[in-house]
Amino acid sequence: MAEISQTMGTESSSSEENRKENSESSNFDIKIMRKTKPGSKRLILTLTVFFSFLLGLPWLLKSIEIYRSPLPFRDIDSLSNAIDSIPFVFPCKFHVVFVNFDHSTSVKPNAENLGFLVSSYMSQYADRNSICGTCDGNYTVSVSLDIGDDCVEYEDANRGISWKCGALSEFNFDQIAEDDEVFDNYLQSVVGWSRVYTAVVVNTGKGDRTRAVVGKYRHAWIVGRVTEINLLAETVAEMFMKIFVSGAKDEGNIQGEFMPVGADGKIVLSFNLLNADPRDWVYDWDFREVDEKLLAPALEALGPIANISVESQVLYHTPKSSYSYWDDEQESHIFSTKDLPFFVNSNEWHLDTSIAAGGRSKILQFVVYVPSANECPLRLQLPNGEISVTNGFISPTWGGVVVFNPPNCLENANSMHPLRHKISPQELNHIFEVFMGQLRQLFGLKSTGFYKGALGTSILLDSERGFTEWELDALARQHACYNLQQCGTTLGSLSRLVQSLPRMIIKDEIGKQVKFSLEAAKLAQNNASQGIYDASAVSSRHARSLAEDAFFHPSVMSISYYSFEHMFAVYSPFFLPLSLHVILAVVREIKRYKQESRKYAAWEAIRKQHSD
Amino acid sequence: MEKSLRRNCCSGHFPIGKFFLIFTSRVKFRLQVLMAITTGFFRKPSISCFVPAYAWSNLGSGNQKVWYQVKFIDNAKIVEVASDILTLDMVHKYRIKEMELSFTQGRWSYDSWGGFDPIASSNAKPPGVELWAVFDVPPDQVDASWKNLTHTLSGLFCASINFLESSTTYSAPDWSFRSLSGNLRYGLLPREAVCTENLTPWLKLLPCRDKSGLSLLMNRPSIYNGFYHSQRLHLTSDEFDPVALHGIVLEQTLTIVLQPDALDTRASFSSSRKLQPSWSMSSLFGKTVDGKCALAKSSNVYVQLEGSLVYNMKDTWNNIEGYEGEIVQEVPYEGFGSNSNFGFSISPDRMMKEINSFHKESYSILYGFSINNYHSSKPFDLGFWWKLPVTWSCVKAPLRVSRFLMGSGNEKGAIALSLQSTEWSQSLLEADKNKEKCNLRVDVFQVVPWYIKVYYHTTKIFVDGMPQALGDIIEKMNVSPSEDKVSPGVMEMILRLPCDMKSASLTLEFDKGFLHIDEYPPDANQGFDIPSAIISYPDFQTSLQYKEDNTSIKTPMVSKMQDRRTILSYTEVLLVPLTTPDFSMPYNVITITCTVFALYFGSLLNALRRRVNEEERLLKSKDKRTSKLQLLLSKFLAKLRGKPWEPPSSTPPSSSSKFISSKVILRVLLIAAIAFGWQYYDK
Repeated sequence: MAEISQTMGTESSSSEENRKENSESSNFDIKIMRKTKPGSKRLILTLTVFFSFLLGLPWLLKSIEIYRSPLPFRDIDSLSNAIDSIPFVFPCKFHVVFVNFDHSTSVKPNAENLGFLVSSYMSQYADRNSICGTCDGNYTVSVSLDIGDDCVEYEDANRGISWKCGALSEFNFDQIAEDDEVFDNYLQSVVGWSRVYTAVVVNTGKGDRTRAVVGKYRHAWIVGRVTEINLLAETVAEMFMKIFVSGAKDEGNIQGEFMPVGADGKIVLSFNLLNADPRDWVYDWDFREVDEKLLAPALEALGPIANISVESQVLYHTPKSSYSYWDDEQESHIFSTKDLPFFVNSNEWHLDTSIAAGGRSKILQFVVYVPSANECPLRLQLPNGEISVTNGFISPTWGGVVVFNPPNCLENANSMHPLRHKISPQELNHIFEVFMGQLRQLFGLKSTGFYKGALGTSILLDSERGFTEWELDALARQHACYNLQQCGTTLGSLSRLVQSLPRMIIKDEIGKQVKFSLEAAKLAQNNASQGIYDASAVSSRHARSLAEDAFFHPSVMSISYYSFEHMFAVYSPFFLPLSLHVILAVVREIKRYKQESRKYAAWEAIRKQHSD
Repeated sequence: MEKSLRRNCCSGHFPIGKFFLIFTSRVKFRLQVLMAITTGFFRKPSISCFVPAYAWSNLGSGNQKVWYQVKFIDNAKIVEVASDILTLDMVHKYRIKEMELSFTQGRWSYDSWGGFDPIASSNAKPPGVELWAVFDVPPDQVDASWKNLTHTLSGLFCASINFLESSTTYSAPDWSFRSLSGNLRYGLLPREAVCTENLTPWLKLLPCRDKSGLSLLMNRPSIYNGFYHSQRLHLTSDEFDPVALHGIVLEQTLTIVLQPDALDTRASFSSSRKLQPSWSMSSLFGKTVDGKCALAKSSNVYVQLEGSLVYNMKDTWNNIEGYEGEIVQEVPYEGFGSNSNFGFSISPDRMMKEINSFHKESYSILYGFSINNYHSSKPFDLGFWWKLPVTWSCVKAPLRVSRFLMGSGNEKGAIALSLQSTEWSQSLLEADKNKEKCNLRVDVFQVVPWYIKVYYHTTKIFVDGMPQALGDIIEKMNVSPSEDKVSPGVMEMILRLPCDMKSASLTLEFDKGFLHIDEYPPDANQGFDIPSAIISYPDFQTSLQYKEDNTSIKTPMVSKMQDRRTILSYTEVLLVPLTTPDFSMPYNVITITCTVFALYFGSLLNALRRRVNEEERLLKSKDKRTSKLQLLLSKFLAKLRGKPWEPPSSTPPSSSSKFISSKVILRVLLIAAIAFGWQYYDK
């Protein structure tokens, strides 16, 4: 409108100009020219609206933003990378002591080389597919020679390792063979509580073969006539690697995911006494005594590895669900190993009555099965046809079962009223010894008292706590490593999940848990590098349980995330038509402005020609 | 009732009971036989004892009332039985002093099934789930303990008890629910459907589960076909007291009301009056008991003849009168065929008579059956039949209580609580004639969810239809108004009603609130439940004292009946319809408002931007151009139609309109094709 009035105004100007312009207007084409400058009011208006929308967009996005606690993604990535790339290796220290090697043997001149010899053999024995929690390549071997009055120490930069010279001189080595326990404790008093694995080689010069014993602390000894020094070094190396480092595990041992520790670092040991049919007899036990006497030391020993709690119950009317048959030869009912998968009757055995059953703790069930009168005595037949001594079996990650046959069970059947018995302390002791073996097996340890290596058999001494020091070390290393791996994977998945769902609410609590988990993981790594295995296991356990807590936090599991689709559905009815309007208006105005400017420029050119 | 049961429970698997088809008789049966089966489980005689009991009775309308009770006492520190793990864990973790959990389906009929006996006052429970617990923790930790407890129980009993976690669902009654309740929390879930998945964990707590003993009778189809069933778990512990006397006592009770099979071959005795239906264990449950649970010390079954029944039968019992005062075994069985009204298929082992009866002329009799000597080849199957028709009525509660809603519409309404006198309170009046002023104390405890906004100042009390001043009737009142989305409204009241009144009522007005769209439960149109109110009569206490034939054997069942309990009854659950929104509404609102705003904004922008004059000029020039195009098009169309072309000047509007209409049709077809293609490929 403004332009039109302007043109009107100019047209009604003075007559001189009129004449002049008439000549100009003769070649003035309204379609391609205009005489006035194109107005910019509408352009400015539309552009203002357009830019105010663009400026308002971040403000809108900010206002509909959801709360996400900042997670340390970089730290998580570096942790999981560190765990994945560098195998978790603990430093281990070994010490070999040669006693009574006189000058006649070739030991003394080789004293410096002995340590090197042992370590070279050790690297041979090292597991190629490096299992988590070993000391691969990160060990030091020191050697001491004790020849009564003369001591030679080959130190490998280890200040802490020392050997009291002549400490064993007053000990009568003839006794060793008779009483290992005494010598074990004596050695412990000599060596003391250090984290060094010691092997004492005593040359008695008698007998024709050596005898290797592993004590319940962190030392072993080899006694006998030593002739070949290389063979001796190899034996020592095998002992170090296979027993002290790997924990003397069976082949096909229990690995990572079969670790019987719950994600929150807890184990609940549930001891169940099952009376298959209380109409025949009712057995009861004094569990409290067992708990105090037998279980408590073992559980205390396992303290760094898991937080263990114990509960017990007596259940009735719990028949097994597999069949057994009568064997005249054995005079008992036999169930064979192939029936074992069906032995546990999950319909009738209501074992999971505890509150812990709902959590993430691991529950290990230990079942004493008292058979009914018509299947008594019940015995387990091994695949080789023999009758099992323990009369029990384990199921990895589930627990163990022991069948307890009531004494004289053939006689007091068919009684009208059930007899009430109490399992005698001796029987109970026997049962719990089996359970302890089963628990060791569930942890992947050997339940037999000897280790059969490539170069002979070693005797393993039992600890009254159920677990020896070196076994606990191996377990702690393994668990620390596995826990850290799990922690790394869990945190890694959490960070991936969080990053893949940009509109998921993350509470502060999760951020805190992740932070603490990372701190605990770092502490565990520090402890591990210093060789403090149990502390490392404890903090790795915390790291893992915190990571799991963060991952399984209820707010993550819930559907309370506000999806992009939802936001689109809410805001598109307003912004879609509106942005169409605004953008079209801007495009049109700009187009028009350019067009009109061109027209004006054309007229200007003509006017200039005429004025010239 | 049957319908609701079948809907709520997974009873599609069960054979549908024929009880209900037969239950058409309108004869008012007045029979109250209490049958109590007691078993004593003694696992560790010195340390713990496990005491179950079973009760069941023929009720007013010929229904059977069954009461199974288990009591478990343990003060051993180490967990032993399945129930031990649960109870010890729970008691220690949450420091529970006392706790009661009940699952109920159906409503206890106080009129026909009795309201003044130990069973009614302790085992009649409101429909759904009721949970209350007393904690031994500092007052600020009670709520946290309660929340943890609800979650634990929810997992253990496969029920949605965890809904009681929210502070809007539970309350802390001060004095009306239980006297001296310090750290008590009380919660009700009226709409919880109760079924086998709740019974199975309950049975797991029994040493023999349902494998042997009296619990064999717990046949799921017969239990869930009953009119009423309620399973209860009561836990008391004095673990945290310095002088622990009992340790933890766990009591399990199952109360069932069943309709016996009325097919009676002996029924043709009288033409005028029908006989009460006979029953036996096998006909009621379809199962028999083959001996006691091996862990039980003893197992007993009791049949109780209620006082009024005994009184009514006295006419035919005259010859037994002489034996009164001494305990004579098998008294009613010697003259079995001639003068007895009823018969047992098994002769009872003992008989007990009530000694301190409230009504002097009528006393109840308890027959005891021991099942210790039965075994699988000789199962215990107690039968009971009538010889003569007898009518009697159960002893009712002092007042007949009902609660209902008044008003209409979705805006406001009123809750009315109506108390009507029964013959019982009439007799009370006669008894207390001498006193100057006779009062009946009634305690009311009511919890109302926050979305029912009760105006407590509108409380009105009517006695015999006449409005009364509140101060005359209400002795004590404690009200905590509801807070939106935080806490429910709790009302506790002590009323003093005159004994001679016929009826009294109490009304409270309320407004219905609005819930946030997230807070509506699924199926919100069904309405919202207001939990049952509790009406108790602290002046009256019930207990049945029996003179036992052998005082050395004091069975737990009998001693249980001797406990003095306050009479209380639960009112109906109210169903309040609230305004429910259209749940797609938010999106509709968003879409409509956004469209309106977009339209407004767009047109405003256009109005500011457009050049009207210029566009008009453009249109004019376009018109010239398009007319040429139209000319060409009309020529083309004419050729297509095979008509001689006419200059368009004569009929331009008609041709253009035709052209437009064909264009419209084309467009519609195109859209339809797109829509079809979309539908087709979208599948």
